[in-house]
Amino acid sequence: MAARAERARAQVRRIGARVLAGVGVLWGAATLSFLALHATAGDAALATVAGDGANPTQAVLERVRQDYGLDLPLHRQYLNYLGNLLTGDLGESYQQRISVTRAIGEQLGPTVALALSAALLALVLAVTVAVFTAGRRRWVRSTASGVEVVIASFPTFVLGLLLLIVFSFRTGWFPVSGNDGFSALVLPAVTLALPIAAVLGQVLRAELEDVLEQPFILTARTRGMRDTAVRVRHALRHALIQIVTMSGYMIGTLLGGAVITETLFVRRGVGQLMLTAVTTKDIPLVLGVVLFAAAVYVVVNLVVDIVYGLVDPRVVTA
Amino acid sequence: MRVRRKMQSLAGVAVLALLAGCGAGGGATAGPGTANEPARGAALNAEGTPVSGGTLRLSMNTDPLCLDPHAISSDVEQIFGHILTDNLIYLDEQGQPGPYLAESWQISPDGLTYTFKLRQGVTFSDGTPFDAEAVRVNFEHMLDPTTRSPLAGPYIAPYKDSKIIDPYTIEVHLSVPYSPFLDVLAQGWLGLLSPKAINETTPAQLCEKPIGSGPFVLTSYTKNQGVTFVKRPGYNWAPPQLKQTGEAKLDGIEVSWVGQDAVRFNSLTGGQYQATGYVPAQNAAALKSNPDFVYANVNRIGLPYTVEFNTSRAPFDNLDVRRAFAAAVNVPAIVQTLGFGERQQSTSYVDRVTKYYDPAVKLPGFDPKLANQLLDQAGWTARNGDGYRTKDGKELVVQWPVSQAGTVSPIFDLIQAQVKSVGIRVNIQLLPSTQVTTLRYAGDYDLTYGVWHTNTPDVLYIKYASFSIPNEKRLGQNTSHLSDPQVDQWLDQARQTTDQATQQKLYSQVQGRLAELVPGIPVYDNSVLWAFSRKLHNVSVDTSHGTPLFTYAWLEK
Repeated sequence: MAARAERARAQVRRIGARVLAGVGVLWGAATLSFLALHATAGDAALATVAGDGANPTQAVLERVRQDYGLDLPLHRQYLNYLGNLLTGDLGESYQQRISVTRAIGEQLGPTVALALSAALLALVLAVTVAVFTAGRRRWVRSTASGVEVVIASFPTFVLGLLLLIVFSFRTGWFPVSGNDGFSALVLPAVTLALPIAAVLGQVLRAELEDVLEQPFILTARTRGMRDTAVRVRHALRHALIQIVTMSGYMIGTLLGGAVITETLFVRRGVGQLMLTAVTTKDIPLVLGVVLFAAAVYVVVNLVVDIVYGLVDPRVVTA
Repeated sequence: MRVRRKMQSLAGVAVLALLAGCGAGGGATAGPGTANEPARGAALNAEGTPVSGGTLRLSMNTDPLCLDPHAISSDVEQIFGHILTDNLIYLDEQGQPGPYLAESWQISPDGLTYTFKLRQGVTFSDGTPFDAEAVRVNFEHMLDPTTRSPLAGPYIAPYKDSKIIDPYTIEVHLSVPYSPFLDVLAQGWLGLLSPKAINETTPAQLCEKPIGSGPFVLTSYTKNQGVTFVKRPGYNWAPPQLKQTGEAKLDGIEVSWVGQDAVRFNSLTGGQYQATGYVPAQNAAALKSNPDFVYANVNRIGLPYTVEFNTSRAPFDNLDVRRAFAAAVNVPAIVQTLGFGERQQSTSYVDRVTKYYDPAVKLPGFDPKLANQLLDQAGWTARNGDGYRTKDGKELVVQWPVSQAGTVSPIFDLIQAQVKSVGIRVNIQLLPSTQVTTLRYAGDYDLTYGVWHTNTPDVLYIKYASFSIPNEKRLGQNTSHLSDPQVDQWLDQARQTTDQATQQKLYSQVQGRLAELVPGIPVYDNSVLWAFSRKLHNVSVDTSHGTPLFTYAWLEK
């Protein structure tokens, strides 16, 4: 009993420490991005009102500087930003003139739909290919592996453009662009999923091949189990832990890939929002998206940690 | 940034490959006045008996993220302005100001007072009546710094105040005479909004739901996705120049933002949209030869696409060096590469459709021999190991900060290579647009480039009057920093007089003088390229902007 209580306490301490570290990561992301945005040359107030084709008066420019505190010393701006952040206020987007929270909220739905469907597709593809090619004859393995390497090393926009040319421009099977319904989601989701599936497939096959060498697999086979059942019910279960480990990589690729995919397929979403914000030096909006992405990372990693602790108690003491 | 740039060039390559594959290359340039280059005010594909109903699906390029015409400079307003709002003035085919919501007007002899008689019976879509007070509230909204107006406000900068004589008569007072006043009132950015909406909502709310009196009403706006307009019941105050009255024929217009050139072109030909306000130049030939589409290439009023010299610092403070640089640039070759045969070479410092454009002005042409001679004359006689000219051990090098956030332009590399042959080094600095903007207002560059579209020859004041040179106290668009007392005097006089013969003479003189002073190299006359399905009829060419006007357009059943 005492040992169990001790273990529970250790578990709580561990999670507490991870949460604190997560807050540290968020603070670090906000601070570094704040510094980077201000350190790069270019006047944010000018970018807001005086870009190409605009001819505002000096009064307008000064008004913008005042409204956003851009006339204050940098340390004051930073402290103001952190202060507002503590109250949950991410500030106002310079371009859209609405709160950053709202600007992100408006674009979140389509990005989540895209990321989730891409993640799901990547998993299904990777698992299927890995299960059926691991430990097979040499040419099967090397073909699968070769295709994966090629796909994984393709830049996302090339992949997307190829898919567009074949499945949209030429055949007209899918709409070229937009956010309307399921059919508009297919090509962007495939574009985003393929590179992830390729990397996951590689990792998963290597892991599966390791597991297939283990004595318990031999035991299962000698019990007369069929090959597919051995692979799916025994080997895959062990190999899947790798997917949990890779979830950080997946989230990163999904968020980064979303910027490119959304731009190419003209889908609205957080990726497009980020791109516009960066090119117009919309500082609060860029910081908002960075913090949002960092928060997703932190939360996902926290969940993975907790899940590890539950699945394998050795992690707690390690 | 980097990724986007790559994507765009890649999209271009892909489209070229597609074009080659389809064998659609017929690229002979049509002369002005042909079907592809319609006159302003023309009604295109007007044949047939009009029917009401149907929703037009229109693709546009980039969402300005705000739809208050007074608060943005996006060219989206050239089209949206005339969908959602009405103006006081509409230009006729010759570019002369004509009636719209102002039925008539009088200008005082000193050019300081404009008295407008307003049309009666007009209402905004929220029910607010259009009257003199509405006009006053709109002018003040454009000039209020909290509106952050980048165009509408600056275009009426000389506005002082208004006196309401009666509900339908307003006397507008200017602080200085400003003869382009009537013209600019016809621009999409100066469309009139409901005074109730202006007074009762924040600038951000007005951005999301501007309320006008136009032929259509904005019903939904999803940022980065699209905008929906529906027909305004009871609308009956279109510009008389359209020679049609009553409500719009279309039930509505559904607009989508489609930022990628290749995607915008293919979604048009694939039938996802029935019209686009932005045809990529590289796809124009394919659309011209496609019998299912009407393609329009309309020259616009204003400053041509111009490469500008910073005349305020060495080496371009020296006229000989400017002339030499201009003579070393092969403009026709550049026009062909940039415009895919769709753009006409510039012949003056204003586009040829600008009022008082002077065809007699002669721009210096491509003449490398002259360029070498002028550089020798300016003392750049020695050469260094790389083949560039030097003077007192200093290399002849010029800085050109450029941004490629918009369209990818090969012009920088072309010019760099062309002037290298006469010994000038061009240092192209690829920077984010924010940094280019900052350098531009700080005057920290040797070369810059741009267009300026407006609907009056007063563009010359915006670009070349010394008043327009940006400094610490004032923003401005005289990016060549040209300061010439003679040019200043003529431009001021042109603003002061409303006599057209005098204006013509003054603007001609300015164009001639600019050709001597060489503040830049006008490259091609800027034009808008747009297209729509043959099933859509009676699309007019807007007289101010050359953009499509959908007020009385109708769709085949």
